[in-house]
Amino acid sequence: MLSVMDWGWSEMLWATLISICLVFVVLVLLVWIMKLFGGIFTRRQAAVQSSATQGQLHEEEIAAITTALKLYKSVLHDRESEVLTILSIKRAYSPWSSKIHGLTQMPFRK
Amino acid sequence: MWTSLTSNSNFVGESLLKFADSTGIAGFFAAMGWGNIVMIGVAFLLLYLAIRHKFEPLLLLTIAFGMLLTNLPGANLYHTELFAGGHVHWDIFVAKAGLLDYLYLGVKLGIYPCLIFLGVGAMTDFGPLIANPKSFLLGAAAQIGIFVTFLGAYAIGFTPEQAASIGIIGGADGPTAIYLTSILSPELLGPIAVAAYSYMALVPVIQPPIMRALTTRKERAIRMRTLRPVSKLERILFPLIITVVIALLLPSATPLVGCLMLGNLMKECGVVDRLSKTVQNELMNIVVIFLGLTVGATATAEAFLNFRTLGILVLGVIAFGLGTAGGVLLAKFMNLFSKEENKINPLIGSAGVSAVPMAARVSQIEGQRENPGNYLLMHAMGPNVAGVVGSAVAAGILLSFLG
Repeated sequence: MLSVMDWGWSEMLWATLISICLVFVVLVLLVWIMKLFGGIFTRRQAAVQSSATQGQLHEEEIAAITTALKLYKSVLHDRESEVLTILSIKRAYSPWSSKIHGLTQMPFRK
Repeated sequence: MWTSLTSNSNFVGESLLKFADSTGIAGFFAAMGWGNIVMIGVAFLLLYLAIRHKFEPLLLLTIAFGMLLTNLPGANLYHTELFAGGHVHWDIFVAKAGLLDYLYLGVKLGIYPCLIFLGVGAMTDFGPLIANPKSFLLGAAAQIGIFVTFLGAYAIGFTPEQAASIGIIGGADGPTAIYLTSILSPELLGPIAVAAYSYMALVPVIQPPIMRALTTRKERAIRMRTLRPVSKLERILFPLIITVVIALLLPSATPLVGCLMLGNLMKECGVVDRLSKTVQNELMNIVVIFLGLTVGATATAEAFLNFRTLGILVLGVIAFGLGTAGGVLLAKFMNLFSKEENKINPLIGSAGVSAVPMAARVSQIEGQRENPGNYLLMHAMGPNVAGVVGSAVAAGILLSFLG
């Protein structure tokens, strides 16, 4: 086989043609593999979805039931004790929560 | 004392002359000194483009600074003679090497481009490609520019190895271009890297006129069907399948594709988040600094200032344009055999040149100019990432022929 140094137009043209064909062959092969691979997965997903939906409610039925429940619940109120109590609040003193320490001191004038 | 000081006036003169000779300024008056001045000007221009206009700043800034350092006379950071003839001259390496010579070993040994691909893989979502494998064809068509330019470069007097390195600019993939050039024609690394990254930054300028010229308004307005959801298992298996298939068919492309897919597997498997984040951020950033600096350092005045560089710049843009046209035309051709609901918007074909994600964004923008409600971005990401794989495959094929 000729070394690259001795390549002429004929070798260059063939190399180009073969290279283009090889790029396409490799990538077409990848398309096939990925299609095959994708086909298996989409079929599997479809099978899982159809088995999951068998014996179950339709999406529209679920929507109708949830809307009805929402409307029913929105009319209901919780029973309250009706007793209002004010609890005394007492905070333990701490310099961290001290109001006087949190205020800017007035400038001291002599 | 006065006598001893005045008696040595010759010594003073000689010392000052010696010092003046040792400065970088003297270097500007030596042979090719004007070339250094021009190259420093080019470095400043690239720095301006990177900083002011944000043209691929991550790489162009470091490349330009490497170019500046290598063209400052007397800095001795990079020595072309250590890598003359395409080999590392280990016998004189330690004695002569400067900082950039040591860092350049990462390019010379093909380490940096592969590490960059590791990060690229971890940042890439191959979901659109998995959902629509036909995108691989658009990625293949966009590599046409590489091979046509390969012939064109040979026609104007480049060797086959140099022609292959110039052609790979059409793949619009910086690491692949650097990887192939560092093996086949390291003497052209500087101009090819600058051309590749400059044209990648100019994707929004170069591609739209070609896309518009090759498509009708009706074609540009095509709405594509929503992509199917891709499961996690598919995302995990994809890098494994691609690695095995490519490695078996094209062992010379394995370093690039293997690293790309390893990075992607790290991202998709979800159990090595720390590694995934490291390759996407810290490792990627460190390698970008080293790669940019050292590639810039190869752009010495002797290597850059000649008609070859001009030829590379012209051929590079032709390669890029042909790649864009190849993708668009194949998409149109595929539409001839597609059902109405499966038609492809030809604008996504142009994204088959890598330039991720810029080329996909251009497809989206062009699509929305015709039909504001048309969202092509995710559809264009398929050919875009297929282009990364396609250009690595093209580089592997060229390496197996010429390497």
